[in-house]
Amino acid sequence: MKKFDNIRPHPGKIISSLKCDYAEIRFSSGAGTSILFSGKTVDSVKSGGSSGGSVRVLKNGAWGFVSFNDISVMESSARRCLEMASMIHAGPGERSAIKPAGPLTGSYSDTMAEDFTSIPFDEKFSLIRGYNELLNSSSLIQTTSAMYRDVKSSYYYFNSEGSELKYDKCYCGVSLSSVARDGSVIQPFHNSVSGHGGFEIARNRGEMAQDIARMATDLLKAESLPGGRYSVIVNQKLAGVFIHEAFGHLSEADGIHENDDMKKIMVLGRRFGPDNLNVIDDGTLAGLSGFIPFDDNGVLPGKTYLIGNGLLSGRLHSRETAGKMGEEPTGNARAISAMSTPIVRMTNTYIENGVNTRKDLFDSMDSGIYALDYIGGQTNLEMFTFTSGYGYGIKNGKKGKLYRDIVLSGNVFNTLMNISMLADDRAMFGGLGGCGKGGQSPLPVSFGGPHMLINDVLIGGSQ
Amino acid sequence: MDRIREIIGRHDAQWFDIIELQGESIPISFKNSRIHSINSRESRGYGIRVNVKGRTGFSYTNDIEGFDDMVTRAVSLAGYGEDENFTPPEYSVSGPLFEPYSDSIVTFDISKEMEKGHSVINTILKKFPAASIDLDISRSTGRMRLINSSGADISYKNSYYTYSASVTIISDDSVKLDVWEGSSSLEPESFDYLPDMLIKKIESARIIKKTGSGRIPLLLPPKAAASMLGILTGGLNGKSVFKGTSPFTGKLGEKFFNEAVTIHDSPLLPGSPYSYPFDDEGVKAYDKVLIEKGVITQFVTDLKYAGKMGIPPTGNGSRGYADLPSPSFSNRVMAGGDRPFAEMIKGISLGIMAEQFIGLGQSNTLTGDFSAGLDLAYLIENGEITGRVKDSMITDNLFRLFSGDLVLSSERERRGSVTVPWILFPAVNYTG
Repeated sequence: MKKFDNIRPHPGKIISSLKCDYAEIRFSSGAGTSILFSGKTVDSVKSGGSSGGSVRVLKNGAWGFVSFNDISVMESSARRCLEMASMIHAGPGERSAIKPAGPLTGSYSDTMAEDFTSIPFDEKFSLIRGYNELLNSSSLIQTTSAMYRDVKSSYYYFNSEGSELKYDKCYCGVSLSSVARDGSVIQPFHNSVSGHGGFEIARNRGEMAQDIARMATDLLKAESLPGGRYSVIVNQKLAGVFIHEAFGHLSEADGIHENDDMKKIMVLGRRFGPDNLNVIDDGTLAGLSGFIPFDDNGVLPGKTYLIGNGLLSGRLHSRETAGKMGEEPTGNARAISAMSTPIVRMTNTYIENGVNTRKDLFDSMDSGIYALDYIGGQTNLEMFTFTSGYGYGIKNGKKGKLYRDIVLSGNVFNTLMNISMLADDRAMFGGLGGCGKGGQSPLPVSFGGPHMLINDVLIGGSQ
Repeated sequence: MDRIREIIGRHDAQWFDIIELQGESIPISFKNSRIHSINSRESRGYGIRVNVKGRTGFSYTNDIEGFDDMVTRAVSLAGYGEDENFTPPEYSVSGPLFEPYSDSIVTFDISKEMEKGHSVINTILKKFPAASIDLDISRSTGRMRLINSSGADISYKNSYYTYSASVTIISDDSVKLDVWEGSSSLEPESFDYLPDMLIKKIESARIIKKTGSGRIPLLLPPKAAASMLGILTGGLNGKSVFKGTSPFTGKLGEKFFNEAVTIHDSPLLPGSPYSYPFDDEGVKAYDKVLIEKGVITQFVTDLKYAGKMGIPPTGNGSRGYADLPSPSFSNRVMAGGDRPFAEMIKGISLGIMAEQFIGLGQSNTLTGDFSAGLDLAYLIENGEITGRVKDSMITDNLFRLFSGDLVLSSERERRGSVTVPWILFPAVNYTG
């Protein structure tokens, strides 16, 4: 891994030589290891390093952006970037602007309880091999995938307001899955854990591996749920994915700041859910996958209430969207790497606890579905579709038959209003995957919530 | 080169290969109906595989100064890698080299492309002043080079031009309509047709229609058919066949689908940026039929899974510089039928035409099961599109659909790496 603490010419000098409204230079260097087991054997081992950076320039309301992986071309890239921004002749109503912020300086680093760079490769290899054996623990398991990954990087940020920031990042995690098969029925099951920290994140995941193998085999016998409208209790992980996908993306101001129709819908103070619904994005939560010490616009993260007591109370901003809307930046400008453009993204997004117990939710349900975890999901802002990992029928508050492939769909606004009960058992989830937007994927985020009861959810299936 | 041989020679290596990928691109981005930014991206990277005593280690870097370290790391990891019984191929170019490249890529002109973009946006705004339009236009060129211990030192260049436009309209009752279109090619293209096409799609969707749940005819235009075909062909990947997660494992030569279903993997397809003369492991590319008249005839594979399955490699090894190869398709080309699509629509008394899905491919696709929300879909009544259906889903099994009755149009389109006709399934499970 390269160190750039004494890079010349100093990026601040390069920036100050550019005649423009605003400029930023970001670069990083990192190195990582990954080990993948699949089926009964190792699939691949690799370790490598990469470095790169970018310059972004705002001139006369237009952006230029140049990325590179050879840091030595930084100065010429900056000049080229200015030229590109100058090619655009933006009309008065077509200009980009950014919200000014004071200079920010600082140096941040993640802490590792157990430094993964000093763990012998052999030990990482044995740990993940052990998990893979557990994933293979039934004769019905057709194949598995067990991945270990760690990456350590140094990231530098400079802007024309005099900000100079550095972040030494350590990220580690495992991603585990089993695929069970019985004749033509093929059933995968997956779980993953990750976060900012050291090798401790990867340790002690044997139980997780066993659960995955058991669920994949159990689900072979499960049936699909008939399609229709149901009352649904979602578990913490599904609640988290729901709020990330269905509402979090809607709160990203880059979809709102220049769209009058969206502004009409996303009016602060408008009712979006019941009184007890609170939705929060918080990039300051150390350790969680979506943690950031500062965003890729040089802004400190914060705790942003998106929904407070059922009312729309905030949104996620970059400095560009905040500038346009006359609101404050929230520290949500994020790029997947120093070579990508910062865009408005979530960090750690969750639904706050309610006052009910989990038992209250089940006791209140005569007939419905308990849906757990998730396989995937997508949203177009108004509508969403999620596949939950598995679920159970509920009769008179009691868990019954196991179902697989429960695909929930609905209108975001109606569904939020239909949340009728919130439990007090919030949990947060990360994982080696992440969020995708604008071709930048997977960006580390976390999400969570308590168990919640939602009425009238559309579930796809045979009639 | 000699230095690599020297480092590797010290470690009793059986073989090695090195891939070098470089590229540069100029994306122009319009957001919210206005020009937003001009971007330039440059990248280069190297990946090396070294096989020592049958086991492969891998490392990568994007910094030429880190090259020696990369080689040493790959060697040191080799003891942990998988047992692999193949050697990289010898390859020499004889005759002219096929390249997914057009010299006309140099005619890309930033100012001209910005004008083209403005023109699309202005035409659509004239019709729908409240529309929000995002438009991306990009040009890229690149080169891949592969060197291996069997003596290959081969390279080809590529060019890529792409545009896509997405129009969003939100009506007073918060109904959101999002329509997108795009294309990719080897050289700058005109997209004059875009505004009219998008406007027509938007106008057809302004009336919201409802229809009851049940089995209903489903018509897929090429854009939607391409995403379905992507899932359907997943099981033809040699890796999933070997792992036993493919429904086609052990089914070579069996009739799985309707007679009308014939699909090729065509790496030499002219005009497609997804074509290549040889794959990322240096195996010569050739056209192969994957499904012929409904019969599974061939899987695609890289060197590793060819070795494991004891079959010849098919020239489908794919990788970035920072990853080991894995089997992947080049261009998937589905044969068409004999009916013009206009006639297919006319023949539907009540049905759905689905353009864009939400969540397709997010369920347990290994079994062919799918369940997708309808992002943009139209109701067809008595052979005419009468409005948009929304807040509804289709749920079915792709293998069942492609093995049952289906009608294919004579017209076909390449949508990204998939070339497909219009497809009509007579009865698909619809939940409204």
